[in-house]
Amino acid sequence: MTPSDRRSFLRGALAAGVAGAVTGPSAARAAGAVTGSPADRATVRSFHGPHQAGILEPPRRRTAVVAFDVIATGRGELTELFRTLTDRARALTAGGAPVEAGISAPPADSGVLGPDLPGGGLMMTVGVGASLFDDRYGLASRKPPGLTPMRTFPNDALDPAWCHGDLSVQLSADEEDTVVHALRDVARHTRGALQVRWKINGFAGPPRPSGTPRNLMGFKDGIANPDAADAREMSRLVWAAPGTTGHGRDAPEPAWTAGGSYAVIRLIRMLVEFWDRVGLTEQEQMFGRARDTGAPLDGNHELDEPRYAEDPIGKVIPLTSHIRLANPRTPQAADSRILRRSFNYDRGVDAVGNLDMGLIFTCYQQDVARQFEAVQTRLSDEPLTDYIRPFGGGYFFALPGVRDAADFYARALLS
Amino acid sequence: MEFAMRLPALAAGAALLLAVAGDGAGPAPKAPPAPAIEAGASRCGTGRVPLRPGPQVLPLRNDGGTSTNVTLIDPRTGAIYAELEGMGPGTVRSLRVTLGPGSYAFRCAQDGPGDPVTGPVTRITGTGGGGTPGIVPVSENDLYASARAYQTYVSTGLGRLVARTDALRSAVDDGDLGAARAAWTPAHLAYERLGAAYGTFGDFDGRIDGRPAGLPGGVHDAGFTGFHRVEYGLWHGESASSLAGATDRLARDVRALRSAWPDERVEPADLPLRAHEILENTLQFQLTGEADQGSGTTLRTAAANLEGTRELVDLLRPLLRPRYAGLAGVDASMDRMAALLKGRSSVGALSRADRERLNGAAGELLERLAPIATICAPRRRPQGAE
Repeated sequence: MTPSDRRSFLRGALAAGVAGAVTGPSAARAAGAVTGSPADRATVRSFHGPHQAGILEPPRRRTAVVAFDVIATGRGELTELFRTLTDRARALTAGGAPVEAGISAPPADSGVLGPDLPGGGLMMTVGVGASLFDDRYGLASRKPPGLTPMRTFPNDALDPAWCHGDLSVQLSADEEDTVVHALRDVARHTRGALQVRWKINGFAGPPRPSGTPRNLMGFKDGIANPDAADAREMSRLVWAAPGTTGHGRDAPEPAWTAGGSYAVIRLIRMLVEFWDRVGLTEQEQMFGRARDTGAPLDGNHELDEPRYAEDPIGKVIPLTSHIRLANPRTPQAADSRILRRSFNYDRGVDAVGNLDMGLIFTCYQQDVARQFEAVQTRLSDEPLTDYIRPFGGGYFFALPGVRDAADFYARALLS
Repeated sequence: MEFAMRLPALAAGAALLLAVAGDGAGPAPKAPPAPAIEAGASRCGTGRVPLRPGPQVLPLRNDGGTSTNVTLIDPRTGAIYAELEGMGPGTVRSLRVTLGPGSYAFRCAQDGPGDPVTGPVTRITGTGGGGTPGIVPVSENDLYASARAYQTYVSTGLGRLVARTDALRSAVDDGDLGAARAAWTPAHLAYERLGAAYGTFGDFDGRIDGRPAGLPGGVHDAGFTGFHRVEYGLWHGESASSLAGATDRLARDVRALRSAWPDERVEPADLPLRAHEILENTLQFQLTGEADQGSGTTLRTAAANLEGTRELVDLLRPLLRPRYAGLAGVDASMDRMAALLKGRSSVGALSRADRERLNGAAGELLERLAPIATICAPRRRPQGAE
């Protein structure tokens, strides 16, 4: 097969002129097609920009995290794949009326969201895994030096079927049908170039009753995130820093990474039946926070700063508690902070009849070794490990944003 | 005559509309009906809804007394941009199209003896492309030659199938299970190459190639017959004497199919559907390994199914060439899938990477085959279209 044959499928898609929404958000608005609450619309951002959506934005209510293996042949097909992904992401997030196929093909769109795509409610975040930089596409020399396969940590129970991948795609929206629609669309347009390696659906609860949403252990999760609205903090902690060397390595970050970020995805089963049989005091001491308010055990409100200096032997907040190990609030640990963007998952029953649910832990950072791995190493053997089983996930580099109508995912990497 | 026929129909339609308007009308004056394009033959294509460039939703109203088929055509070539089939009398439906530069007219084929009527022509000018493509319709007549050629292809294949199934029966009758296992696969592939899918062979397919799914007793169900029943026995230690009945029945069913086939009419309308349906089944039952009853040959089955698909595409090729820009992509995808299947037999023996490549190639090929069904579905060709 020649690249031009492939191009006809991936870009011309399914039949001539069925490449998807062409009318853009203004047409969708004119048709009254933009839906959702006013709060949803307030967070809608343009598809184009220096960074991808889904990193700084607060998590939506629903997500699908999908790791793909790339089966495209050669660099040309890989480039077409990224162009197709970009076209689809642009069309799906902009909304509008799909081009009608007439009698030339089956309908271009699944119709799950009705005849006009609402747009505005979807965020798509695309990352590349270390395996994409093997010998298949001639990209070895362009690999970000900090991008490695996910390590196996001491308390992990990794299932190879749920680990790694050439490409990650996270689709988030406030409604499940928006996520499902987008996934079907993306898969349909990329069948000859991508195959799903693993996939997991997640959800984020609303504030219960206020503040940070809770995980399935009943605790507020992600309270101490750095401020995503603080651009200086984000450039210190989240965005790749081209030209600089990272933690424990000499190779500088390549220029193409500007605007991207390292994503760590960890699929963490929570042994919720076991957890529910643990007394409240013990639960709270494992986390270091009060379950009802989320406040540190030495404070009153979830955003209160724990005062570890006043509690050097851990009488109030144990030294082995999750929050104290994860973020000891010392100047030395300040640059290991991560931007957490986690979701809960719920996916069935295990062999002993226990419910299989837990956390799709996702965090973004400038340097995986300096940040996530440092935090994870501090957490090694924390008491909480008895109640969780990390079984999958991977490290990915979330690509720079698509800047304008001529740009596409990974353009800087591929050219 | 024709005019006279149409008058009562019109009157009936008007009465129906009046009845609808009067129904539930309150004291407030009723708003006039929303503007719509007429889809009945008498005023085909007229109405206060202008066609404009770009995507739009066109409301169509059947003001006639019988159902109607409406198409938006290029009046110069007869190419169809969009269609609404079987619009009931008095109904309003919407037609979604994206219009690029070109000539457009509605064509209304009212159920009944009258000829289809073409409405006024609208020309859209401009340089923008990307509109809904127009396709010159394929008539049932156009498909007859392909259907006849397919009938011949199957007849030839059935001869081979009978000979190979007889060889399988002989091996079992001789008590030589090794020879029977060797004979099973070629006989089965002879059947799979025929391109049976979704009722091509009626009840014969269930008897000859049925799977245990849906049978309460599964593989031990008395209704489990044919190639997979014999396969189960051959690869699960069943004795030759115990298998003889199933093998004999298979050989007889295959012969019965061959005898019945010359009297079967291959529906021309089915051919374009089979272009992707054969491989839809392959993806569902062979690439998953679900059809396997022990022989580990589902990928050889897949290769045989692909041969059947290729035959169908070749038969339709003269019709597709001027109508389907993606035809070269279909060929490339078929080659790609064939190359990935070459020398393969069992799904279980594939590495994860090889299996992903095969699944991806099959999925891509299916996406490319699917438009053949909509493009070549037989349609009435407009009379008088030059």
